[in-house]
Amino acid sequence: MTPIENSEQYSDQSFDQYYERDLFPHLQELEERRRQIVGRVTTAGFAAALFSVVAAVAGVAYTNTLGAGLPGIFIGLFALVLGGIIFAILYHFMTKGYVAEFKERVIGNVVRFVDPNLSYHQEGSIEESVYMGSQIFPTRPDRYRGEDLVRGKIGQTAVEFSEVHSEYRTVSTDKDGKRQEQWHTIFRGIFFIADFNKHFAGQTVVLPDVAERMFGRLGQKLQSWNFARQGELVKLEDPEFEQRFVVYSDDQVEARYILSTSLMARIVGFANKSNNQIHLSFVASKLYIAISYQKNLFEPKLFQSLLDKRLLQEYLADLSLAVEIVADLNLNNRIWTKQ
Amino acid sequence: MTLGMLVAAVILVGLLILVLMYNSLIGRRNSVDSVFATVDVQLKKRYDLIPNLVAMVKGYMEHEKDLLEKLTALRVKALESQSHDDKVEIDNQIAKPLQQILLSVENYPDLKANQNMIHLQGTLNEIEEQISAARRAYNASVLEYNNAVDMFPTNLLAGMMRFTRRRFFEMAAAEREPVQITFGSKGD
Repeated sequence: MTPIENSEQYSDQSFDQYYERDLFPHLQELEERRRQIVGRVTTAGFAAALFSVVAAVAGVAYTNTLGAGLPGIFIGLFALVLGGIIFAILYHFMTKGYVAEFKERVIGNVVRFVDPNLSYHQEGSIEESVYMGSQIFPTRPDRYRGEDLVRGKIGQTAVEFSEVHSEYRTVSTDKDGKRQEQWHTIFRGIFFIADFNKHFAGQTVVLPDVAERMFGRLGQKLQSWNFARQGELVKLEDPEFEQRFVVYSDDQVEARYILSTSLMARIVGFANKSNNQIHLSFVASKLYIAISYQKNLFEPKLFQSLLDKRLLQEYLADLSLAVEIVADLNLNNRIWTKQ
Repeated sequence: MTLGMLVAAVILVGLLILVLMYNSLIGRRNSVDSVFATVDVQLKKRYDLIPNLVAMVKGYMEHEKDLLEKLTALRVKALESQSHDDKVEIDNQIAKPLQQILLSVENYPDLKANQNMIHLQGTLNEIEEQISAARRAYNASVLEYNNAVDMFPTNLLAGMMRFTRRRFFEMAAAEREPVQITFGSKGD
């Protein structure tokens, strides 16, 4: 099945039928629950706001009568912050069960629709050790979170992917000497792992190429001096591929064994299809792809109706993109010794 | 005094640059040879499998007997060849008959289904991919070397020290593709 045929399978008729028959009943029930929650959240919001204002006014008035005007402002701020915290806690508890139920009933179903051989685990994720083992993002994260794990076998290819959000922390002291923590995202999006269809032993990393695009040959020279990366720069023949990606590997020949002319073309095709930044690596006969997203995927939006079909189509599109990697990169082509 | 030191410094820097350029040329030339060795290893693996292939298909392929003999003869020639150019030449010659044999396996259902045959085809395909990869790596290293020989300023030194361009390892006109074994699925 060509990749194009594959994505047509997930749009139009077959999904519409599935939507009507299997998903809609779940969505209706969840929509009811959502409306209730919106009601409660709004009430809680008003209550918290009211509490904050009252507490602030009371606080200011109290300290004023004590004769200290300025600290009153701090008490007011403190009251507002307290109100905010109370609201956040209430919000969390009110929506938690809803999100879990939504994921289990809706996302779980969509996953099974896409491929019955796949299983969905909302709390699961790709392990940090595996993420680090891919060598794509060598920075050790200070915070690593993941969810929405999907795993199974598509044809002959075992796959596993989840949302991953890894961050590192910087600490700075501002002019008043206060310590401030800043969190920076290393990677956020879908981290995908598949069994590759050739045996190989080493490591090859394919990264988005900024330098070559901007600086041409000089950029290439700079890249070959990149000591942060283990391995040598590999210069490949496909011009479009070279434009978009830079490749480092510990073996020049093995890198080309993996990145055949046709695989390079397919990777470019997938990059075009995906519209997101992608990083790839090949380590010990496995393929790792990190697809960057700005948003949190597969989450129900509280203030948007669940009955809007576009919502489901968005989930389907995000899921399909990952699942179709197997077809797009022809990973089920097993004409060599690896089965 | 200072003029003398300045002249000495300039000469020293000039020598240093010469040394760097020379080493760069040597390094790149050695790289070419080293990668060719890898190509050679893969080619030899393929040549070693040819007797197995011939033995396996001989019983079935009465019509292709000439082809099998040609393949065996080429293999002997391949093992004897020494220079890079000869090896490249033999590789080009052997590609077509080998591919033809593998394609005609499709015409013999018993042979096609034979587990040993399937395994051999998988191995041969893998070797072809490896050869292709090694060849590409070789061409990349030849490009780097030729660039140093041709481009300014290393070309001056190259001319003086007799560094000459190397040939690329060109693909035979019969374009090489790993042969598909099963069910009409497209090769890579």
